[in-house]
Amino acid sequence: MIADEATMARLMTAAQKGDRQSYTVLLDEASKWLARFFARKLPHGQVDDLVQEVLLAIHNKRASYDAGRPFIPWMAAIARYRWVDHLRKVYRAEEDQLEDWDGSEDSDEEAVGARVSLDRLFGYLPEKQAEVIELVKIEGHSIREAANLSGQTESAVKVNIHRGLKKLAAIIEEAE
Amino acid sequence: MNPANLELIDQLSEDLTPVRTMKFHDGLLMAVTALVASVLIVAFVNGLWQAGLAGQASPYFYITNALLLAVGFAGATSVITMASPRVGNRHDGPRWAMAMLGVMPVAALITLLAQGGSEHASAIPGDPHAFKCALSGMAAGTLTAFVLFAWLRRGAPVSPNAAGLHLGVAAGALGSVAYGLSCPIDGVLHLGFWHVAPVLIFGLAGRFIAPRFLRW
Repeated sequence: MIADEATMARLMTAAQKGDRQSYTVLLDEASKWLARFFARKLPHGQVDDLVQEVLLAIHNKRASYDAGRPFIPWMAAIARYRWVDHLRKVYRAEEDQLEDWDGSEDSDEEAVGARVSLDRLFGYLPEKQAEVIELVKIEGHSIREAANLSGQTESAVKVNIHRGLKKLAAIIEEAE
Repeated sequence: MNPANLELIDQLSEDLTPVRTMKFHDGLLMAVTALVASVLIVAFVNGLWQAGLAGQASPYFYITNALLLAVGFAGATSVITMASPRVGNRHDGPRWAMAMLGVMPVAALITLLAQGGSEHASAIPGDPHAFKCALSGMAAGTLTAFVLFAWLRRGAPVSPNAAGLHLGVAAGALGSVAYGLSCPIDGVLHLGFWHVAPVLIFGLAGRFIAPRFLRW
């Protein structure tokens, strides 16, 4: 069970004032939330690395959280930003295959999670762009394999990845 | 949980120090202060146009400066909000404000074409007053640009391209307002072209130069 929005917001507010105990609990809960957040949109072996990157970003940018506003949409915006950045940098790693989603489907957290999820962000892309980003950047296929699987030409795959990532970067906050 | 994650959490908790949170009203106060300081500098260097302040200028003077002020604050509030990201935030305000301001150069162009342009040397490139106003507007916007840039660097903007564009537009518009209070040329051609130019130039600079410094 991951802490809810109100609890995380309260912990973050305390952390901004220097409360280390609250901060430890918050980061622990945040890392669980982030692991689930990234689970379906990253090869399994890359999830922990990205979770750590986001935890560092939360730490470095903690002053930018406004205590009067919800915490999870703030964290999700940072997580999306880091994820898009990661997709731009990621290289093909055949051994890292995406594992099936095994998270439990429970409670109100799912509603909040769905609203800020990466799937929702992906939903704003044209199908052809989303498909090839998924194939190349997330599942680790080569451009040629993605072209065969998607029925697009290799140059179309490259163009659609480029355009798709550009669009993702532009709608990080807006897509909900 | 991954032991590396636990170790990182321990380290970050150990490093924790209290922070001053970035409140919207603090950012807005900073932007307003930068604008007021810019106006005071312009008043000290050039002096303000008393007839304009006394209500004796043409309507274009007030309309243009009011539109520039609206664009400036739309851009500035967008920048301040972008520093504290959130899924669900929208930043459409500057776009609409820029569209409204776009009426001024369009009106100036129509006027120029309708009147043949010969009587309106002040609107034609090469006129020293024209470039002086555009350059002075940009110079007056640098303080606002610096303040907004510093705010963004401290924050966590997740759309650096849009943040850079809005920063440039805000700084160009507020700088043009600050300098515009000293400019006695109040025709639609001069105002529509040369007092709007800083918004365009700073906007382009912000869009294409600032993002590389805003990524984190």
